[in-house]
Amino acid sequence: MPVAQTLRLLIGPLELLHEQAGPRLLRLTRLGLFLLWIVKLLLDPLWRLAYLPRELFQPIGILALLPSATIDNLMTPTGLTALWLVTLTVLVIGLTNKAFPLTSTLAAILLTAYSCLIRGFGPAVHTDTVALLAVYVLAGFAWADFFQTKFSKEKSSPSAWSSYPLVTIVALLCLSYCLVGYSRFIRGGLPVFTGDTMEVWAIDASLRAYYFNTNIGWHIPEWPLVVFMLKAGLPVITLFEMTAPLCLVSSHYRWIFIPVMFSFHLLSLVVMNIFFFDDMLLYLLLIDWSRKFPALRSAPK
Amino acid sequence: MTTSEEKPLWLPPISLVIVPLCVVMVSFSPWRFIPFNVTGQALLLFIMLRAFCYWPPMVRWVKSMPVFHRAMFALLIGSMIVGHYTLDSRTFYPYVSWFIFPTVREDDPVTCREFIATTAGGKKVRLIVEQLFPSIVQIYPLDDPKQYTPAQLDHLAAALATAYNRRHADDPVRQVDLVVMAVKLHPPAAESRAEPSCQLLKRYDFSSDR
Repeated sequence: MPVAQTLRLLIGPLELLHEQAGPRLLRLTRLGLFLLWIVKLLLDPLWRLAYLPRELFQPIGILALLPSATIDNLMTPTGLTALWLVTLTVLVIGLTNKAFPLTSTLAAILLTAYSCLIRGFGPAVHTDTVALLAVYVLAGFAWADFFQTKFSKEKSSPSAWSSYPLVTIVALLCLSYCLVGYSRFIRGGLPVFTGDTMEVWAIDASLRAYYFNTNIGWHIPEWPLVVFMLKAGLPVITLFEMTAPLCLVSSHYRWIFIPVMFSFHLLSLVVMNIFFFDDMLLYLLLIDWSRKFPALRSAPK
Repeated sequence: MTTSEEKPLWLPPISLVIVPLCVVMVSFSPWRFIPFNVTGQALLLFIMLRAFCYWPPMVRWVKSMPVFHRAMFALLIGSMIVGHYTLDSRTFYPYVSWFIFPTVREDDPVTCREFIATTAGGKKVRLIVEQLFPSIVQIYPLDDPKQYTPAQLDHLAAALATAYNRRHADDPVRQVDLVVMAVKLHPPAAESRAEPSCQLLKRYDFSSDR
């Protein structure tokens, strides 16, 4: 039937992303992710935080478990520089792939402390949270590989294990979008999409400026076409967020999802000064490299 | 490997009726002991996870996993979901509650507090915390009385002026104004401005500082 055929053509093949991924792709992902964090740290003058009023710092996450005296010592130029240097060193060692379970676990702990630290002066924003969770995934599966080879009698090909962390990272990325979409849809309901909400959020973010300050967003009320685009765009983006897990399933969906969400993140930067740089880099994992390049596939069982 | 003869864990038509019914009873009954905010999201998540549980390539992939890997996969995905349901973004970071622009906002005009400095050379500059301290992604809005006491705002103004002066010793800050900027959501037709309207709230003098 032509309708069924057209539909089948539109939906395309339904295959699990990275199902055939091999050790080389995993190695490249480890390198990419650790390099991303290294660059982020190199660009970050962390020690400057010591010059902010200490009473504004409210420790979150694992930092909230530390005694106040330890936090006081950490929030000095020496303490912050030490954390910065140690984290950077561990990340560089992680690039060598030597004792990866250990180095990646150390990196995960240090990056968690770093991420908690930079959020202690404000809300626990979501930027780079998935990139941190991706380090957890690499560390977690490195230990799983280790225990499996050491203690299990189960016979399985280690080459095929490479797909596990890759699929999990993409699953977490998609789940983050999905939960944001569900949350907006259920908590906000219809009024979020029909009222001035998006316009208000955009002006508010633009006025507050942040690191990137395009100074554009607060002009929005003067441009009816942009107001319309924001209002019409929010339900569309929410729909893409809610259906993000389809990225694991459909290559056709991914080829729509990537440009739509990429443009959305760029627009967020221009209009709202908010840049989800890390998530955009993680989009590289939404491409099924191992199906395109045989060298990146796992060895056949 | 899965076979087509495998029976689903829950009979699909029944669970699809029962689960939404539970949501309605739990969130919309006279007692409403769990808010719809939680159950509604749980329902959507359940539908999504359930679809994956029955999708043959996913089932095949999960079943091919050795036991330690399967446990790790469940732990990582489960932690993220549980983190979302803590409805808390600070305590268990990075297992946070995922919400971005989730609530209705209709404030008009939209206002925002900012520090605007005047340098020795008479130049006006905005002192943006996230630019002077790039580690910080976002600080709390300066008009949030739960986050800042007046004394803390004074200390923040001084810290920002010092941080600016450290990098601009040739033209240091002499005065910092705490202002409230406002932008009308529905401006009169053809109104266009170069800057948002500003109202002075407090002035800090740093002219005696070296």
